[in-house]
Amino acid sequence: MSKGRSPARLVIALSVAAVLAVFLLYTSFAGGATPSLRPSQLQGHTDTVSLAGKVVGPVTGSARGEGLRFTLRDIDGTATVPVVYRGSVPDLFRVGRHVFMKGKLVDGVFVAEPDSLVTKCPSKYAPKKSDSKAT
Amino acid sequence: MPELGRAALVVALGLVLYAALAGGYAALRGRRRLLDSARNALFAAFAATAAASVVLLVALGTRDFSFVTVARSTSRELPIGYALSAFWATQEGSLLLWLLVLTAMATAALALNRRLTSDVLPWTVPILAGIEIFFALLLVFVSSPFETAPAPADGLGLNPSLQNPYMVAHPPFLYLGYVGLTIPFAFAMAALASRRIDERWIVATRKWTLGAWAFLGFAILVGAKWAYEEVGWGGWYAWDPVENAALMPWLVGTAYLHSVMVQEKKDMLRVWNVVLIALTFSLSLFGTFLTRSGILNSIHSFTESSIGAWFLGFIALVVAASVTLILVRLPLLRARTKLESLVSREAAFLYNNLFLVALALTVLWGVLYPILSAAVRGVALTVGPPWFDFFAIVFGLPLVLFMGLGPLIAWRKASLRSLGRSVAWPSAAALAAGAGLLAAGAGSSPAGLVGYTFAVFVAAAIVLEFARGTRARHALGDGGWAASLAGLVGRNRRRYGGYVIHAAVVVLLVGAIGIGGFSTTREAKLAPGDSVRVEGYTLRLLGSTQERGANASEVRAQLAVSRGGDDIGTISAGKNRYFAEQQTSNEVGIRTDWLRAEDLFVIADQFNSDGSVFVKVIVNPLVNLIWLAGAIFVGGSLVAMWPDAREQRRLERRFAEQKAFARA
Amino acid sequence: MSSAEIAAVVLAAILAAVCVVFVSRPFLREPAPSGDSLDDLTPGERERLRLAEERDRALAALKELEFDHRTGKVSDADYREQVGPLRRQAAEAIRALDIGVERPDGKSRD
Repeated sequence: MSKGRSPARLVIALSVAAVLAVFLLYTSFAGGATPSLRPSQLQGHTDTVSLAGKVVGPVTGSARGEGLRFTLRDIDGTATVPVVYRGSVPDLFRVGRHVFMKGKLVDGVFVAEPDSLVTKCPSKYAPKKSDSKAT
Repeated sequence: MPELGRAALVVALGLVLYAALAGGYAALRGRRRLLDSARNALFAAFAATAAASVVLLVALGTRDFSFVTVARSTSRELPIGYALSAFWATQEGSLLLWLLVLTAMATAALALNRRLTSDVLPWTVPILAGIEIFFALLLVFVSSPFETAPAPADGLGLNPSLQNPYMVAHPPFLYLGYVGLTIPFAFAMAALASRRIDERWIVATRKWTLGAWAFLGFAILVGAKWAYEEVGWGGWYAWDPVENAALMPWLVGTAYLHSVMVQEKKDMLRVWNVVLIALTFSLSLFGTFLTRSGILNSIHSFTESSIGAWFLGFIALVVAASVTLILVRLPLLRARTKLESLVSREAAFLYNNLFLVALALTVLWGVLYPILSAAVRGVALTVGPPWFDFFAIVFGLPLVLFMGLGPLIAWRKASLRSLGRSVAWPSAAALAAGAGLLAAGAGSSPAGLVGYTFAVFVAAAIVLEFARGTRARHALGDGGWAASLAGLVGRNRRRYGGYVIHAAVVVLLVGAIGIGGFSTTREAKLAPGDSVRVEGYTLRLLGSTQERGANASEVRAQLAVSRGGDDIGTISAGKNRYFAEQQTSNEVGIRTDWLRAEDLFVIADQFNSDGSVFVKVIVNPLVNLIWLAGAIFVGGSLVAMWPDAREQRRLERRFAEQKAFARA
Repeated sequence: MSSAEIAAVVLAAILAAVCVVFVSRPFLREPAPSGDSLDDLTPGERERLRLAEERDRALAALKELEFDHRTGKVSDADYREQVGPLRRQAAEAIRALDIGVERPDGKSRD
């Protein structure tokens, strides 16, 4: 028991430090975190961003044709932006769903990148809202 | 009957309050009858919760729309199976399920460990009661399944995504896992409170921990299968916060399962183990908080309902109480034995813990990042699958390597020479496989290639362990090879069951790499008669059909599949439009080739008025190994958990002889 | 009150009553018990339990070393190096327990 005591502790501490270093290096250099903006924050952005919000109807057009058109609203606000999207429409897409997509604001309309529409796994237990109460 | 349900929950709340107060006093002052009474209160709480559950089930089955819960989650046309499963489809119903499972498990744990809990761990009663109080409070005051309103003509119906057998099964298994982890946590804290840090509580809760962990892992896979078939984007895990909520406690639980073995062998890591189980339990609470509170959508939806605040408060209480208890008992917990050598199984387990906890904390960071950055910088920054995938590879691959190395290293101290001899053959097999795969073109995904190589290493190591053990037993006894193998496993159920579980992880890894690193996608707009080719498959559009199902209108594109010129059947994909729920879902077509374990995956994106269909065709190699891994995982867990009568007798005998000598 | 509501109230009352009786059972069964204290371990018993665990751990470690040696995981040299200290550990643990046994009055060794 005399041999491996201090070196063992040292090696363990170094391993933990190494793991931490990998983590910090990756997050600071590769980043990987994309700003997910709300429609109210979109003003002035001409670069490609990720947009998150709630789908507001009416939903018109076709995603595999001239483009699916709908409005996206701030999750907790009133600001909206019209959206046109082409590509695969995910299974859980519907009016009232929270979605993400990547794209650019062009002439007041958010043009989404193809196939970038993602719906969040719906929180089945979302807080009771007035539109979901039984009538 | 909602009054009965409400009353039953109030009775349950009263019972658990009594159990906590009376049990706490009885544990403090050592009162036997009072403790028995408190324990009976916990048993009765199960009965009361069961009564409330029956009321809700009957209401769901009969579509009693005067219950708000029933009106919100079922409809007249909903098939009875799904109507009953709506029990856990709502906030209040799922809380009731949680309490039901919790009271049931607490009853079982206390009843099966009667002697242990009354003689030695009286604090289990008030601690379990305390946890039950939280859920009972929520059900009585915050989110009741028995709210009534004037009954509408028809209910809103069940979310179509939940109308799937896997989504029906997922929450019960998930809760068996989450709630199951409460038991070892409660016993660990009770042991600390009563200063009983001897091994008995670990042994008593060993099966609970393993069982809960197995249920949790299985639930995650069931959820993944649902996502694969129902959400249908072609993948099986999206690193969505809801998925991560279950993964985090499972990862830390895995670390706990391993490091608790070190405590049994060498009586060290005691502090680390209580920290781990407290972290596991806290993460399971945190996971359910994340999925319920709406906080991931926005801070605002978090504050709309108070349930998030309640959970956050409870989690804070649990963490504070655990930390306090651990710090207070720290002198008692400090181990006397130390790590002897870095080349030992203890060290391998420590590394296993390091990577598992690191991965869990990384996932936690990724889940919390949007909330933290929104709070600090005003803009929510999200991290996506690439970020999580990176860490899954960087932390996961060494973990896989240790999964192979660990069983090959001896406890205490192993010389590099004997380790070298053990790893020689598996390493050779791995390198050969790696070279072969590289030649076959697997180099397109370097991480995948490394993963496959490690997988072969681990598989070979497992085979080696079984072979060596069987041969040693065979040399001793007079049975045949099969008998020796059976005897080997029978006498070391935990170890060899564990090896089977490791094999399941290997199979899962191979499948995950297959679909993650080597899948192919092709999109096409097909008129009837047109074809599209992917990876050797040819799909030709035959036409589209429309039918009226039980509660939905079903549109399908029919495609003929052939490979290498041979007709191998048809596949259909399309959409369902649900009447009551006013929602459309994608119904993907999956054709499984069992021999190659690969899937032909078809999404019919859009049906045009001229009869043409826009399809997306994906070939996912080896994906079915993931589901096969689930079955192997269950099998291995059963072997590991199988009761060992001999060990049980030994433990009872040891406890009895100490007491007998004391009285002599 | 409708009949369904009355039925619900009656059932709830029955449930509550049954629970109260069940919770009071320990006191109803033994209104005047001879002893009401929890059967806890004395410090001597705890110490002996700890020694017993140590003994079992040492014996299990020995058994595992033998098995690992037989299956080839532990080389002959490693086996020779480890078996001595482990045997000593087990012997010491057994001896400590035996000494404890000689004093059944619950006093620990030292």
